Amino acid sequence: MEDEVLIIENLEKIYSGGVHAVRGVSFKVRKGESVAIIGSSGSGKSTVLRCINRLIEPTLGVIKLNGEVINNPLANVNEIRAKIGMVFQSFELFSHLKVLENITLGLRHVRGMNKEEAEKIALEVLERVDMLDRIDAYPGNLSGGQKQRVAIARSLAMHPEVILFDEPTSALDPELIGSVLQTIRGLADEGMTMVIVTHEINFARDVADRIIYMDKGIIAEEGPSDIIENPKTERLKEFLSAMDDE
Amino acid sequence: MLSKEERILGWYKIPKSSRILLIATTLVVIFLTPNLAEGYESTWNKIEIDSTDDYNAAVIDSNGDAWIFGDNGIIIHGEKMTNWSIVNSPIDEDILTAYSNEYMIAAAGENGTVIYKEIGSNEWFEKSADIQARINSIAINDMNEIIIVTDFGGIQILREEEWLEINSLTSENLYDITFEENRGLISGSSGLILGSEDNGLTWEIRETPGIISESEIVSIGFYKANRAYAITSNGQILKSTQEALTTTVGYSWTIKEIESENYTTSLNVNLTALEILSTTKILLAGDNGYVALSKDGGNIVTPQLLPDGFENQKINDIAMENAFRGIIVGNNGNVFYTENGGEDEPVGFEVIDLSNFSEFVDFTKDNLWEGLKSTIKIVIFGILLGFFLGIILAMCKTAPTTLKQMIESDLEKTLVLFWLAIPTSILFTRDSGIGLGIFTFLTIIGITILLDYYINKNNTDSEGFLGILIPNNHRNKVIRLLGLSLLIGMPISEEWGFDGGAELIYSALNDFHDFQLGSDTPKLSAQLGYIFAPIGDPSAFFRLIIGIGLTYLGILFLTVNGSFSKKTLFAGKLFVVVILWSIILTELFVDFNINNFEFSITNLMKYLLILGLGLFMTRKIIPAFSWTGVELKKYNITIDPWSLRPLNSLATLYTDFFRNTPLLVQFMFIHFGVQLGKHIQNIGIDVTDDLTMISSHLGPLDSLFSPMIDYVSESLFGPGKRSYLSAIFALGLNSAAYQCETIRGAIAAIPSGQMEAGRSIGLTYMGTMRLIILPQAIRICIPPLGNEMVNLVLNSSLASVIAYTELTRQGKLVVAITFQIFWTWGMVMIAYFVVTWTLALLLRRLEEKTRIPGLGISGGN
Repeated sequence: MEDEVLIIENLEKIYSGGVHAVRGVSFKVRKGESVAIIGSSGSGKSTVLRCINRLIEPTLGVIKLNGEVINNPLANVNEIRAKIGMVFQSFELFSHLKVLENITLGLRHVRGMNKEEAEKIALEVLERVDMLDRIDAYPGNLSGGQKQRVAIARSLAMHPEVILFDEPTSALDPELIGSVLQTIRGLADEGMTMVIVTHEINFARDVADRIIYMDKGIIAEEGPSDIIENPKTERLKEFLSAMDDE
Repeated sequence: MLSKEERILGWYKIPKSSRILLIATTLVVIFLTPNLAEGYESTWNKIEIDSTDDYNAAVIDSNGDAWIFGDNGIIIHGEKMTNWSIVNSPIDEDILTAYSNEYMIAAAGENGTVIYKEIGSNEWFEKSADIQARINSIAINDMNEIIIVTDFGGIQILREEEWLEINSLTSENLYDITFEENRGLISGSSGLILGSEDNGLTWEIRETPGIISESEIVSIGFYKANRAYAITSNGQILKSTQEALTTTVGYSWTIKEIESENYTTSLNVNLTALEILSTTKILLAGDNGYVALSKDGGNIVTPQLLPDGFENQKINDIAMENAFRGIIVGNNGNVFYTENGGEDEPVGFEVIDLSNFSEFVDFTKDNLWEGLKSTIKIVIFGILLGFFLGIILAMCKTAPTTLKQMIESDLEKTLVLFWLAIPTSILFTRDSGIGLGIFTFLTIIGITILLDYYINKNNTDSEGFLGILIPNNHRNKVIRLLGLSLLIGMPISEEWGFDGGAELIYSALNDFHDFQLGSDTPKLSAQLGYIFAPIGDPSAFFRLIIGIGLTYLGILFLTVNGSFSKKTLFAGKLFVVVILWSIILTELFVDFNINNFEFSITNLMKYLLILGLGLFMTRKIIPAFSWTGVELKKYNITIDPWSLRPLNSLATLYTDFFRNTPLLVQFMFIHFGVQLGKHIQNIGIDVTDDLTMISSHLGPLDSLFSPMIDYVSESLFGPGKRSYLSAIFALGLNSAAYQCETIRGAIAAIPSGQMEAGRSIGLTYMGTMRLIILPQAIRICIPPLGNEMVNLVLNSSLASVIAYTELTRQGKLVVAITFQIFWTWGMVMIAYFVVTWTLALLLRRLEEKTRIPGLGISGGN
């Protein structure tokens, strides 16, 4: 189908230590859709996410972005990554650069823009994440929530086809999570294609059009967000009840 | 305190590019400033006399008074060489020559004019010869008789008030005459030297080297009875020594091979005057202000400077009272006086009370200051060289590029490397030296990268390197072909071609075998001599290393089957196989020499038999072990040949080598062994010569460029710069190894997520490194780097062993002159402390300035 931005087929990853982290995962992400991947630790969900922009090389399987196979050794990995935004659990802002410079870096050195153009775009995206007042601060002086919003702005600035969120709220204090989730929800409403790995079950239910539950390297259950209310498999039921206990 | 933005003349107001330019210019200026050892001031002092006639001759009489003679019969009297006055002359012809002994002074010139006076009297007498020719030289013999020589072999002696003609046996022009007791010497054109043993009554032709048969010997002189020297107008120096106690000096002459002129026989100057100060010390003068001193009989001739403004004045004669004090005279009324043989160091003349501390400081502070400047210069450039090399090495060490990646995703680039860049550079190295080889390598790599950038920029559809993309189904074939070429080499034509890994190893081992180290002694200690084989034949050693590398890669590439995976080997089995095959191969290759290998069916059969036996035994012996109860399969190792990181290996080799050898030995090996300074100097001189040639075609711009080129050439590659260049490189190369480890540690300390974040916005590995990882890593490692820089300053004292006149060496020299050990070394120590402490303070300040919140443990505030 034409509006499928991302197609993942039979993805497998065996780490060099012999750990078989992902055992044949296939799913599709349509344009404008937000997909949440949930699952317990070690279920392989982060590995899947990292395989998509080739921070991890998959052992087997095919990944297509807009119909083009991207996990081919001959494909230009830098061009592909520039089309895929990534937001990390631990923010990974460039601590020696100010907020504005963090965002203009990619625009200037990957997109080849000049300083003025880049700053114009940077200010636009910073406004979207409500961080305009801190453009001259160093990341070290920001709170966790602010950092994550800047990180989101950094990937937004590159106008990606899809943004990957790798547990964007796990490293945040509970009171700071709200603003980040608000920002992501805003993006979903604007129609941004997103793949979100998260522990926030409620957030996944609210934001995601579709939820994928992974367990032991395979997709155990997949469906629209109401599978949280009505899990079909035992494994998802156990997982959800374990999450409720916390 | 003004903020950064408020300071009008602030450093940061200057645009960034200008700031870099400013720093670079400052560094270049520091780099080019002369060291003490190379620059010196003239100690010839101009004497002001109210005359501008050309002075042709000068003598110093036995009272220590100087007499100068010149055109228009001018005579100048320098009483004790302090009070100078023009005296009345009885003649007005040009005076060309003069001579003095204990009793009298004589001078002569145009039209046969001769004048003389007794020492003590003030009256000059004229007693001209009855000839119209000019008198080239005059002398006084042991019996106080005046003898003159002229062109066309003319000799006349003044005996009992009458001029007598003497047969010279020659019609060559005679230029100089001199006497030592009753022995006389005359020099002339066509390499002629005449000698006399009887006060000049009879003369005979003496033997001279054939090489000077075209030269005019313009001056000749004795030093007492045991040494004589002569010079020619072609800049040659002749020497005569006493060959046996019974003979006298002046009979046989040899020409000097001048060491300071690369052992050629000419100074390339039109020499005019010679003064012999001792058996080995001679002063020379010539055209264009050439004055030079040799302290070792013409082996090393050191040119001296005339005072500013008089550098190119022609010098006609030298007159010295002793080895230190005397005058030189020349055209345009120039007279220069010296008190130390024209040398720049006033050794042994001022008596300073060196037990007085203030006198001592006055006396030594210039030396120590110059030493300090020299130290700072090598330190700055050592640090810079070490830092840049260190960063490159650290990046190589942390580079994750494995062979697998090179082959899997960069096959096209690897092909350019192995099939174009390396072979071509090896060819150039073989033909024209390593420098051009490296240059070729870098040029090819640079051009292909630029070309690739250009192709991919203008054509967004093209993929691969240089627009070439080997299709997936053919990649393995190409890799195998590459492997084959690495193993067996690439013969291009009969003469051109590249050896493969096997051939390289084989020829290298053969060369090592030729040393026969310890072959007749069966002792193990004798065999250990092979440790030093790399030094015995460096080229064979490098061939061996490269050969092993190529064989490894060749086998790996040749056996590629599409999956670049690791292999599990049975360690026990591997061990047995290796031992067995070593024995077999040793048997096979004992007395095997490629040069005298005789191909015959018998030989072939023998080798095939042994090889077959080996194959059979390897297959059979392994299961045999299980009878003994040893389960070989238990001892497994996993090797992953594809995960080798070539850049990392090379950088590790470099750092391990430099960190595991003493710096002192590195200094001596680099300067005396490799003679790096000399090679850089030679290359530099070649390059500047080329530049001068290019500049000479630029017309009016030439007058702008050529002085600049000359200045740079002189200050970088001039004489005495070898130890300077060697010192910079020894310090820099050593420091690079240590700085590399520091920077590598800092890079490793940056969270891996930073690299992932950089890559995920589409930056390349190098781009992320440059823009994200290094700026943070350098900030972290400023304190340890500061430590290393302080170490480098302290280590620079070792440069004294390669005769680079830095602070420690100056200290040694000062001690040698003054014997004030405590004061000297104390002052040297304080000077070092000031430098390193300032450096440490600057680095501390830099650390504070570059501190950013959230990075490192000190970044929290």
